[in-house]
Amino acid sequence: MVQYLVILLSDKSVPFCHYENKNTGSLLSLNDLKKGLRFSMFENLSVQYVFPNGELPREYLTAIEEVENVKIMPANSPYVGGADVMVFNGLENLNPQKTDVPFVVRLYREEFFEDYEKLLPLLDKTPHLSIVFKDLIKFGENDFKQYENVQESLSKQVEKLYVDGKIPQLNILTDRMYLDKMRNCNAGVESITLAPDGNFYICPAFYYNGEQPCGDPDSGIFIKNPQLLKLDYAPICRRCDSYHCKRCVWLNKMTTLEVNTPSHEQCVVSHLERNAAKSLLTAIRKHGEFMPQLPEIADINCLDPFKKIENGS
Amino acid sequence: MTAIKTTNKEWQYGLNKQITFIVTKDCQLACKYCYLVGKNINERMSFDTAQKAIDYILSREDEFKEESVVWDFIGGEPFLEIDLIDKICDYLKTEMYRLNHHWFNSYRFSFSTNGINYHEKKVQDFIKKNHEHLSIGITIDGTELKHDLNRVYKHSEKGSYKDVVKNIPLWLSQFPNAATKVTISSADIPYIKESVLHLYSLGIKEVNINCVFEDVWKDGDDKLFEKQLVELADEIIDKDYYKDYACSFYSEHIGKPMDIKLENQNWCGAGKMLSIDAAGNFYPCTRFAQYSLRSKKALIIGNVNDGIDKNKLRPFLTLDRTTQSPQKCLECDVASGCAWCQGENYDAAETPTIYQRSTAICLMHKARVRANNYYWNKLYRKLELEGERERYEQNKIVEPLKTC
Amino acid sequence: MAKKSIGTVTEDEKKEIQSLFERKNGLAELSKILTADNAELYEKLVKDMGETGTKFQSWWDRMSAKYSWESSENGHWEINFDTNEIFLVD
Repeated sequence: MVQYLVILLSDKSVPFCHYENKNTGSLLSLNDLKKGLRFSMFENLSVQYVFPNGELPREYLTAIEEVENVKIMPANSPYVGGADVMVFNGLENLNPQKTDVPFVVRLYREEFFEDYEKLLPLLDKTPHLSIVFKDLIKFGENDFKQYENVQESLSKQVEKLYVDGKIPQLNILTDRMYLDKMRNCNAGVESITLAPDGNFYICPAFYYNGEQPCGDPDSGIFIKNPQLLKLDYAPICRRCDSYHCKRCVWLNKMTTLEVNTPSHEQCVVSHLERNAAKSLLTAIRKHGEFMPQLPEIADINCLDPFKKIENGS
Repeated sequence: MTAIKTTNKEWQYGLNKQITFIVTKDCQLACKYCYLVGKNINERMSFDTAQKAIDYILSREDEFKEESVVWDFIGGEPFLEIDLIDKICDYLKTEMYRLNHHWFNSYRFSFSTNGINYHEKKVQDFIKKNHEHLSIGITIDGTELKHDLNRVYKHSEKGSYKDVVKNIPLWLSQFPNAATKVTISSADIPYIKESVLHLYSLGIKEVNINCVFEDVWKDGDDKLFEKQLVELADEIIDKDYYKDYACSFYSEHIGKPMDIKLENQNWCGAGKMLSIDAAGNFYPCTRFAQYSLRSKKALIIGNVNDGIDKNKLRPFLTLDRTTQSPQKCLECDVASGCAWCQGENYDAAETPTIYQRSTAICLMHKARVRANNYYWNKLYRKLELEGERERYEQNKIVEPLKTC
Repeated sequence: MAKKSIGTVTEDEKKEIQSLFERKNGLAELSKILTADNAELYEKLVKDMGETGTKFQSWWDRMSAKYSWESSENGHWEINFDTNEIFLVD
C-alpha cells in the first residue's frame, strides 16, 4: 500500500539516489503542489519534499507547511536548518551545517575507493549515513574486489566505534545487521513521486529518464502491472537474504529491461555489503553481547543469487 | 505389438542450444496468419555478419556449454538465401572442427521452409552435401482449400498449395520421418479434420499443429474447434491411424492441474535460444526481433561486435510459470499443456515486460483438453475391447511434454 | 528386410557410440568441402577419419563380445539412440 508521497519541488531537486536530475529548473506549479498535498491528505500519505539548491518562492514555503512533512535537501541549501535529510554530492565539502539528521552521500565508485576515509568523521555527526553510488551499474570484477577491501578497512574503524560504545550507522556496513526480512526501497509499492510536470511516477528516476507517468492527483495512481514491483514477483530477490538491498526497480529496468530483475552488479554489490555486515556483526560480538535478538547472518558461497537459479538450485 | 505412434522426440531435446540466423526477411508468400509483421526485401544477412556471430559464439565454449547445437535458419523464407546458407554451413563445419569444439560431435542444421523452391538444384545440392545433419520442416497446412486460405503469394494472392505439394514426395524420400507444422487461426477451424487426414494421405506421419497465440479468436470458435478435434479423433481411432500417424493435438500429458511449486518451469525457451539478424543484433528468440513485433520495440540483448549483455538475459533465465501467470491460470484445473509464447506475451503486455502471460488461447486450450479426453477415453476403450490395452501400457514410451 | 531386437546397452555405452557416430558423419561431410589446399586441417581430417572409424568398429566388437549378440552372415547391427536397443537387421 502506498504510504509516502515524494514531491519533487523542481526539476533541479537534489538527486538522493542513483539517478541524476534535470538542469532545466522548472518548478512544480503551485497549483499542482496544492493538488498533490490534497491528494496526500485524502490518501493518508506522508509527504517527503525534495528541495532544489537555491531559494524557493515565498508562497511555496508557505504551501509546503500545510501538511506534516519530511524535507530532503542538498547540504548547501539555504534552508538546510530545516532539513530532515541532507544530501552531499561527492566527498568534497563534507562540512555539515546541521547534524543529527540522516546524511546521504552520492559519489562515484572511484572517489569512494580513493577517499573513503573522508566519510569517517561523518559517522559521529549523523544517526545514519547512506552511501549511494552514482555509477553502481558500472562496477566490474576489479571494483568488486576493491569494494570488498575498502569495506574491510571501514569495518575495522566502525568496529572501534562500537567498542567505544557508539552505534554508528553506515548503510553499506550496518543496515543488514539489523534486518531479518527484506526492507527495500519499494518505490511504486510504498511510495509514489509527484514530479514537476504534475504527474505521478514510480520514483524520481522514472520521471527524469522519460518513463511514462502513472497517474496524477486528479485521477489517482494507475500503475500497469503493479505486481511486478513487489518482492513476491521478483524471482531472484524473493529468495535472497541481502535484506538491506535497495532492490532499485529503476536500475533493474535500465540494466535488465525488467523492473523485477536486478543486474549482476546490483546483486554482487549488495552481497558484498551483506557479507561485510556479517563479518562486522561477528567482530562486534567478540567484544561482548550485542543485540542478541538479531540472528547470525548465514555463510554463503555465492554473490549473485541468479547463479543459483541458473544452476537449478 | 500394439503401439500408438507418438510425435518424434526432438533431437537432443533439452540438451541443445538453438542458434537462429535470420538470413532474410523476405518471403515469396504473405501468409495471412504470419506473425512476421515487418517482412521486407532489404534486410538480408551478409556473410561477414554471420561470420562475426559464429566467431563470437564458437570462441566462448565455456559460456555455451550445451551438449549439442542446432544451427537454425529462418526467414522470411530461408532457402531464398541458399548460397549464403551454404557458405555459413561450410564455415561452421570447418570452424567447429578447427577449434576442436565439442559441438562438432553433435550438431544439426535446421530449416523451416515453405517448400516452394525445395526442388531447385542449389537446395538439392545443399541437402546432398549435409544430409546427415539436416532437419527440414516443410509447412503445409492441409487440403488445398485450407492451405490456400492463408498461404498465398505476396503479390498475386494466389494460393501456394500446388507449388508446395509437388515437393512433398521428394522431401519424404529424403527425410521419411519428417513432420509438418500446421498453424490454426480462427478461419481455419472448419478445415482441421480434413486437413490432418489429407496430410496423412500425403505420407506425412507426424503433424505438429497449434493454435496461434495472438488474440484472434471469435465467440464460438472453441466449440467449433472441439467439434473438429472430436471428429478427427473418431477418424484416427476408427480407421486405426493412431498406429502409424501422430497428431500433436492429442497428448496424455495435457489437461491436468499443475502444482505451483513443483511444476513452476517456464514453457518457452526464449533466452536459452539465440537469434541473430542481418544487422548483427542478438535476440533471445526470433520473436523479439522488430519484424515479429506489432506494438513493442525489439528486445535486443547484444550484437556481434559487443557480444551478449548478460544482464538482459537474466529475466528470461529466471522466468517461471507462476510469476508471469494470472491467478486464473494458477487455479486452472486443466493447466498442463497450455502453452504460451514469450514473444507474444511481450507484444501483448500492458508494459514492455515478458512477465505478463497472454491468455488469448485459454478457451481454445480448454476445448482441446475436452477433445483430448474424448480421444484417450475412446482409444483406451477400443484397446481394452481388443485385448490390447495391457500390452500398450507395457510398451508405452513415456515422453516429456514438449515445450517451446 | 527383417529387424529383430537382440539387446540393449547402457546409457554411457550408448553415448559413446552416438558421439562416434556423429563424429564419423561430421568428418564425412567435412571431407566434401575440405581440400588439400588447407594442408594442416586436411591432414588432421584424414588421420581423424581413420582413428574414428577404428574406434567405431572397436565399440561394436567390444559390445558384441560383452553382450554376446546374435549375428547373421549377411546381417548388420543397428542401435536406436532413443531407446538404447540393439537390432539385428537381415
